[in-house]
Formats: sequence, structure tokens, C-alpha cells
Amino acid sequence: MDLVSWIFEPFASSFMQRAFISSLAIGITAPVIGVWAVYKRLVYLTDAMSHSILAGVAAAAFLGISLAVGGILAALLMALLVALLIIRVKVPEDSAIGVVGQGLFALGVIGVGLIGDPRALSHILFGNPLTVTSTDIVVQLVLSTVVLFGLWWLSPLIGISTFDAGHARSVGVRVGLLDTLLIGSLALVVVIGLTSVGVLMVITLITSPAVAARLMTQRLSRTIPLAAALGAAAAVVGLVASYHLAWPSGPTIALVAIGEVAVVAVVVLIVRQSPLRLIRTRVPESMSP
Amino acid sequence: MGGGPLAHEPPVVEVRHLTVSYGSVVAVDSVSFTLGFGEAVALVGPNGAGKSSLLRSMAGMESATGEVYVRGKECHHQDWGTHIAYVPQRASARWDLPLTVLDVTVAGRRALTRRWMRPSRDDLDAAREALAQFELVALADRVIGTLSGGQAQRVLLARAMVQEPEVLLLDEPYAGLDIQSSELLSRTLRDMSASNVTVLCALHEIATARDTFPRAIALNQRIISDGPSREVLDDAGIARVFTSNHRADRSP
Repeated sequence: MDLVSWIFEPFASSFMQRAFISSLAIGITAPVIGVWAVYKRLVYLTDAMSHSILAGVAAAAFLGISLAVGGILAALLMALLVALLIIRVKVPEDSAIGVVGQGLFALGVIGVGLIGDPRALSHILFGNPLTVTSTDIVVQLVLSTVVLFGLWWLSPLIGISTFDAGHARSVGVRVGLLDTLLIGSLALVVVIGLTSVGVLMVITLITSPAVAARLMTQRLSRTIPLAAALGAAAAVVGLVASYHLAWPSGPTIALVAIGEVAVVAVVVLIVRQSPLRLIRTRVPESMSP
Repeated sequence: MGGGPLAHEPPVVEVRHLTVSYGSVVAVDSVSFTLGFGEAVALVGPNGAGKSSLLRSMAGMESATGEVYVRGKECHHQDWGTHIAYVPQRASARWDLPLTVLDVTVAGRRALTRRWMRPSRDDLDAAREALAQFELVALADRVIGTLSGGQAQRVLLARAMVQEPEVLLLDEPYAGLDIQSSELLSRTLRDMSASNVTVLCALHEIATARDTFPRAIALNQRIISDGPSREVLDDAGIARVFTSNHRADRSP
């Protein structure tokens, strides 16, 4: 089989076409918001939020309402409980995230188990793009467009408030509201990725392409499109590979994304060891405390 | 240098009984002073004297009791950034972000323009103009993490000047600068004062405070002394401010 038919053969069926669109949507959206999650050090919060979403999905399945709505509500509940523990009870941030995230995850696992379908749990955790319906695709595309547009519009504001929150507040930027919007959008992205890559694997698409892009360029104007391209490539290559290898698609896509980081990291290490490092920029004095 | 309050001019800034507390700890205790048109004033005091808290509360970033008047009008949160620009300590910003010098500088325009919009062409032009004023225009597209300490400090000053403020508050801008960068910063602050921007600058460098700022306020929770910097910061004055300890007086 030649390479072209190896790539295109899987997409002869309509369910694989839907899987392709769905994976591509999350493959682009997750890395773009991931750039900010990485810079704002929200990766652990997002990971725990994705675990918490399981509780909402289980509750939604019980109540017969939309799984996506249940997932979003659980993510919001998680963020609220974490904020309460940090601000009111004065629990350290990572501890609060660990306690609440794993607590809701445990509830979710039990809840999904009670539904009775043993495949349900692995579908939610690891995704199954082959079960994506046309309605799912419309919802995913609309949400992805909203998140991508919102991030493009707000990126100068998010940039300056991340750089110097104190100054941003002093010129009237609503820093808390921006952070809330960003965390809410991260929850939306996890839900967008629910059917195609699953709640456990979506964090890989949020972080890995962003980390690889960050290693490749210092400029935000290049980091974001680069992360999107790496994420899209991981989604497509992972989906095709999973078809041929008969591997679960979510983890395969995640492995490709992690592979991208590994390759870039090795290249960076080689460049740092070589005389080429002389053309790298020096460590700025302004970064030292 | 210019500056020195003119007798017939009303003060640009009047601070009345400003108090900042964190729980039971009083950081700034009922401080009152005025700043004249184009005055350049050094704010000195030991670590923990409340210098940062005072500046941050004047910039509207810290809740405080008491009043801050700018040109006779009480300052409210929505107009803080337009009258008073604040330059925080350099180390408090995230210099590892992939932003350019222009991205950071244009942030100052948020005080003047619609805050949820993307920067307009006018905003970017104003930022470039401010960069030119600080001889930074060649660095406009540089990533901030590659700047030297002196350049980074000038970028923060340019960002503040984009706000077209009447009053500039600086929190330890001299920390970590080499002699050359310090001298350049002093010259810049003198120029600003000469062009009628009122400057209040917290710093630890006593010699710089004496040479650059005609007036000094010595703070240690309360104002210990306020007057010509050569008097406030002579040997006896320094001993007075660094041995005063009002926090201890207040302990039960």
C-alpha cells in the first residue's frame, strides 16, 4: 500500500469522515488555548478539571440531559470549590486542585459504573471518535469557533495581564474576569474533546503541541499558529495510525502529540550542545530576581 | 532640575490619612502629604516600611482607608490609570512570556481607550512614540525576555508614559541596575519632572535619592520626615528613619 492510499483509505467511510472533522476541531482548538494554559501555569488545574468532568457526565447520563452540559457544570463546580478552598479556607492551590479534582473523578467513576455499560467509562476517558454524530460535530465546530475567536480577540489583554497583573489592574483591566473566562474556556475545550479523544487524553492535546511550539519559537505570533499546526497534525496522524493499527484513537493521537515534544526536545538538546548555541540569545538579566 | 512646588499652585496630589492594613498588621498608618506640579520626590525607608503598599494604594491597586485627591478631585477607581501611572518592581513581571516590547508598551493605552478592544493603529502609534522617547524604538519588535535590566526598566517607563499621566509612581526602579543604567534612569526621571510630570519614587539607593530628587519623604509605617532630600537623608536623618519602629510601638 502506498502512502497516499494509507492516509486516505480510512476516510472512505462516513463515520471516519466525522471522526476526522471532530479530531481536527479539538486538534486545533486545544493547542491554541493550551499555549495560554502553559504560560499561565494552568495545566494542573485543567487536568484536574478534565477528571472532574466525569462526575458531570455521569450525572447527566442518569438525568438524561446533554453530557456536554453536565460536563461543563461539573467543571464549573470544580473551579468554584477550588477557589473556595484557596481563598476562604487558605488551602495551597495545588492541594486544593488535587483534593477536589480527584474527589469528583472518584464520584464520576462510581457514577459511570452504575450506568451499567462497561464500555461507557472507557469511551468517556479515552474517547471514541467513531461514535461521533453529525450533531456532535456541529456543536464541536460552533464551540471551537467561539473559543478560537474569543482567544484571538482577547489575546493582547490576556498577554498583558499575565505579564504584569498589577499594572493591568491599575489601568482598569478586569484581570479576575479574564482568568475566569480563560478557565471557563478550558472547561469548554475539554468537553469539545470528550467524544473524540476523551477527558483523560484531551490534556495531552492542550499541553504537548503548546510545549513543542514554545521550544521552537520565542514569539507569541508564531507560537500559537505553530501549536495549532502541531495539534492538527497529531490529530490526523494519530487517527489514521489508530485505524491501521487497530489502537484506540484517543491515546494514539496523544502519543503522536507527545512524540512531537520528544523530537523537538531532542533537537533543542542537540542545538544547545553544538557550536550553534552561540547564536542563541543570552539569558536576560531582567529575568533574574 | 525643575520641580519644587510653586506657592500659588495647588498640589497635584493630596494624600489624606491613608491607611493600609493586612488583617491586624498596619502597613501604612494614616499618612498625609501633598505633591506639587512636576515635583520629583524620593520615598525612602527600610524593608517593610510600607513604601510599596503606599504606592499601590495610591495607584488604586490596594484597598485603603483615607483619600487621594488629584487636582482637588477625589480619585475613584475608574480614573486612577488616567491620572496616576504605576511602575511596579521589575521582578514582579513575567519576563519569560513571548511578548514583544511593543505588546507590553501598548498596555498603557488601556487606561485611555475602550478596555475590551484589541489595540488600534492609534494605540500602536502612541506606544511607538513613547518608545522613541526612551530610545527604544529599535527594540519595538524584540521579545521582552532578551532585554537587559536597564532596557526592561525603560520599557516599563514607556508603558507608564503611554498613559499620559500627571503623576508617576515608581517602586524601586533602581534595584539591580548597573551604574550606567541608573544614571540614565535618573536623567529620564529629571526630564519627566521638567516636563511637569510629578514623580514619586521608592528606592533604597540613598546617594541616588539625594542626587536625583530634590525632596524626600522618609516612611516607616508613618512619615518620619519630609523635606529637602539633603536634610531628610543626612546621616542623622537616615539613622532616624532606620531605627524608628512604629510597628513595635503598636504591638500589645
